[in-house]
Amino acid sequence: MTRLTCPFCGPRELREFEFHKTLPEPGSTPYARVYERVNRLDDSLEHWQHVQGCRGWLLVRRNPSSGAVLETVILGGGAQ
Amino acid sequence: MNGTQRRGTRLTDTSLRFTFDGREYCGQVGDTAASALLASGVRAMGRSVKYRRLRGVLAAGPEEPNALFTVGTSPAVIPNVYAPQLELRDGMVLKSQNRWPSLKYDVASLLQVGSGFFGAGFYYKTFIWPSWHRWEATIRALAGLGEAPGTCELPPPAVEHFSCDVLVAGAGAAGLAAARAAARAGARVVLCEREPVCGGELEFEFATIEGRPALAWVDATLVELASLGVRVLTDTTLVGGTGGEYVAHHEPGGVPGANSVYKIRPVAFVIAMGAVERPIAFINNDLPGVMLLGAAERFLARYGVMVGSNLVLFANHDRVYAAATRLASAGMRVCAVVDIRDSGALGAEATAQRATLAQGGTECLLGYAVISAAGGSHVRRAIVAPLASPSATRVIACDVVLVSGGWGPSAHAGLQEGGTTRYEEGLAAFVAMDQPEGRENAGAANGLLELPRVLIDGAGAGTRGARRAGADGDPGATPIASGDPAPRLVPFWRSPADRAGEKRQFIDYQNDVNVADLRATLEEGFVDIEHVKRYTALGFGTDQGRIGGLLGAAILAELRGEPLKDVGTSRLRPPYHSVTMSSLAGLRVGARLRPMRRTPLHDWHLANGGVLEPMDLWMRTRYYRQNGPAVFEAGIAEAQRVRTSGGIVDGSTLGKIEVAGPNAAVFLDSLYLNKASTIKVGRSKYMVNLREDGMVLDDGIVLRLADDRFIATTSSGHGGHMLSHFEHYRDTEWSGRGVTVTDVTESWGVIVVAGPQSRTVLHSVLGAAWQPVLDTLTHMAFARGAFGGQDLTVLRASFSGELAFELHCRPSITVALWEALIAAGFKPYGLEALDILRVEKGYLVSSELNGETTPFDLCMDGLVKLGNPCVGRDLLDRPAFHESDRPRLVGVRALDGKAIFYGGAQLTTAEQPNRPCGYVTSSVYSPTLGEWVGLALVSRKQPEGAVLDCRDPVRIGDCRVRLTSMVHYDPTGERMKS
Repeated sequence: MTRLTCPFCGPRELREFEFHKTLPEPGSTPYARVYERVNRLDDSLEHWQHVQGCRGWLLVRRNPSSGAVLETVILGGGAQ
Repeated sequence: MNGTQRRGTRLTDTSLRFTFDGREYCGQVGDTAASALLASGVRAMGRSVKYRRLRGVLAAGPEEPNALFTVGTSPAVIPNVYAPQLELRDGMVLKSQNRWPSLKYDVASLLQVGSGFFGAGFYYKTFIWPSWHRWEATIRALAGLGEAPGTCELPPPAVEHFSCDVLVAGAGAAGLAAARAAARAGARVVLCEREPVCGGELEFEFATIEGRPALAWVDATLVELASLGVRVLTDTTLVGGTGGEYVAHHEPGGVPGANSVYKIRPVAFVIAMGAVERPIAFINNDLPGVMLLGAAERFLARYGVMVGSNLVLFANHDRVYAAATRLASAGMRVCAVVDIRDSGALGAEATAQRATLAQGGTECLLGYAVISAAGGSHVRRAIVAPLASPSATRVIACDVVLVSGGWGPSAHAGLQEGGTTRYEEGLAAFVAMDQPEGRENAGAANGLLELPRVLIDGAGAGTRGARRAGADGDPGATPIASGDPAPRLVPFWRSPADRAGEKRQFIDYQNDVNVADLRATLEEGFVDIEHVKRYTALGFGTDQGRIGGLLGAAILAELRGEPLKDVGTSRLRPPYHSVTMSSLAGLRVGARLRPMRRTPLHDWHLANGGVLEPMDLWMRTRYYRQNGPAVFEAGIAEAQRVRTSGGIVDGSTLGKIEVAGPNAAVFLDSLYLNKASTIKVGRSKYMVNLREDGMVLDDGIVLRLADDRFIATTSSGHGGHMLSHFEHYRDTEWSGRGVTVTDVTESWGVIVVAGPQSRTVLHSVLGAAWQPVLDTLTHMAFARGAFGGQDLTVLRASFSGELAFELHCRPSITVALWEALIAAGFKPYGLEALDILRVEKGYLVSSELNGETTPFDLCMDGLVKLGNPCVGRDLLDRPAFHESDRPRLVGVRALDGKAIFYGGAQLTTAEQPNRPCGYVTSSVYSPTLGEWVGLALVSRKQPEGAVLDCRDPVRIGDCRVRLTSMVHYDPTGERMKS
């Protein structure tokens, strides 16, 4: 994976983005949300921010083993 | 050979001079270091890294394991330059490597005499008493490749990103056919070639293509490619790729340090990087004068170099007879062709060539092997024997042994990204398969060695690539050709040898791995190829196993008694080729790596004695030169002035985030440990927020501008991170709930006016209109108005313990306001003084907000007790946060009131002198109190008043300290509230 497609800005180099975290399983305890991070080989749900672009937060679904990005959704209706 | 002009495809008639190990040599423009030295009769070009054996040039490309030179004069040197790739320039200074004091006499090599060779793991096993560290420095001095450059003068490369339809790597027969077919079909094609010229093996193969001699076809094809708009990048090596982006380095002249870096995104990728010839292991197969057969042919064709005068050729395939014919016709005497196969294995063409060679006086031995090479510093004899009775040896006088054990397809570029290999019986090599869609190997890189098939494969791959990219034109006819015959190769990896001889049967020339090492490694239980690689270093180094990788795997298979296809080879990784750090860094160096943020007062500080230092991306003033000879004295003078009269400091670097909307207050409540919703309009509050895991993230003052509008200030170093933090919660939990987050950091310059006279000075600077406001403003209240026609907010807040005001003003008036304050008698102070003032008052500085401290540790229990449910609060109940010996913030002072102690010093008790119970986080010399004061994180078991040992053996020595209240100065806060 060397690029992400920001729904606002289009395909951009990965270095414009910052990885934040993999999303916890729904209904996790506060402890699990922080310490029991999900690490799925083929379907990982993650939060990224387009820090050096529109600064929008993205929900990224990707396959870490192949590097394929399956889905990119802008969160919160995007940067204001 | 000096004096006679050589003719080769790359050579011009202009001569040049260069030095090698201090001696001057001649070459011709177009020569490489290796070709010119070979032409001058130089055989030894380096010593091996471990055994320090003399080595010559083995290969004619970047797979060369030993002829690596250091270019230039110390300290501006470039080490590990491939001699066969380095294009000479007049006056070039070259040095051989891994030898001391000279190539001919090397001290370390003498250590080998009598002691035998160091086997695999020798260093680990031998130098264990009293410890490895006792020996490390000596061993390291002898280890490594080349001399590290003393200066780093490589300019940053140009970095170019582009996309294309079809990327073809390698401009040999397959690559040219692929590029031509794709371009004719209408695709946008990029062709990159590692060598300065295109054609690959067509340079010397007996070949005709489409009715023309091979080289004429190459030239015609390049003309056609240019007319079709194909971008041909020579001297450009594809070093790796991932995620559909491939990186190629343009290194003209073979000098490391890319002058351009290309990042290419093709729709389809054709890997036509050819195949690398491999040697056969025989005794002393590393003696200078032993060379790969294809290398000798390249040196002849391209540079007109005759690598020797009496040659012995040693191979296991038909191609050796064609090569022998070419070398003989160039004037070299081919003494013998040693073929391990019997006569039945030869094809018709090879049989005919063999007969002609025999007529010309060449001894053609079938069923024979070269058992060893002999001679002192270079080859003088080859000892050969029939494989049926290896002890029946014969000696053939010669000065060069050319060896060819077959070819390994260059699958690196593809396999780095995954995919698998299959073992190709006819080739005795692994070929890439299961490549991802859009990527395929072609030609020799796909395991094909006969020219007609290579061209068909290349053209097919090019056409498929173009189709994939949507180009549906006519790719034209596949070129019809004839060339060297099929190799009819019979796998053969090593000549017979006894156990002693196996120590001199080299597999990996760069890391000195021999057959005996593999045997020992297996005996010690390292069986898997990946383990063997790491134990012996087989496949390490700049050649990355291109010479010895497959050979080692095959011999390992033999020793394990298993088929090679089950043993496999070790995994290939980028880069394909050694790369310099400057090429990897690209343009991301200096200011392009870290842009600088400047406050509105940046230039003023520089012009007025400010000594600036980075804080995050900002530059902040540590102290002003006019206030003392160095930071310590200046800081004290500046701090003292604030306490007695006052001073101003540039606070523009504070992060400022404007949060607005109907839910702004509750949004902030959810992010901070204490509540924003209880702040009255026109007032502010010191607030603290936590990370998700409960650790303190940052602190700052939050101002309420209106019911639905706040400005949250953050630490200078945390501004960017805090903004992301706010934006994250805005876009996730608070999405669609009426909250906006805007970074206004650079919309406001901040001047902090601190000191007992600050109100008086502000009266005179801000004028009469502000006077009643300033007189009535209570602690933590602010007022908004104007100065010079521009917005100004005056906040009464203090981080110095003195009466203080923060002036938030527009950047356009910041300098004017600052200069007015100076004209009114206040002088600026820097961070050093700021730290002194803060620590005296027990305010947190950055070393306490270190990501490992909870609000309890920082004595913020009161804020937690407010019970505000916020981010991170859930985890504050974890038992570890409440253990009785968890560190907690406390003040610290020297017991005798005189000793100096620094942040980082460890604190111990008399009972447990070797187990710290805490450490000093910050310390300053307090000019007001006349002694050193500090803050420390110390076990809760140690009460205030406890006396501890403060240990700092390296910097300043130990002293005794007493734990005190955190607030060293004005504990009741009278001065601040005055």
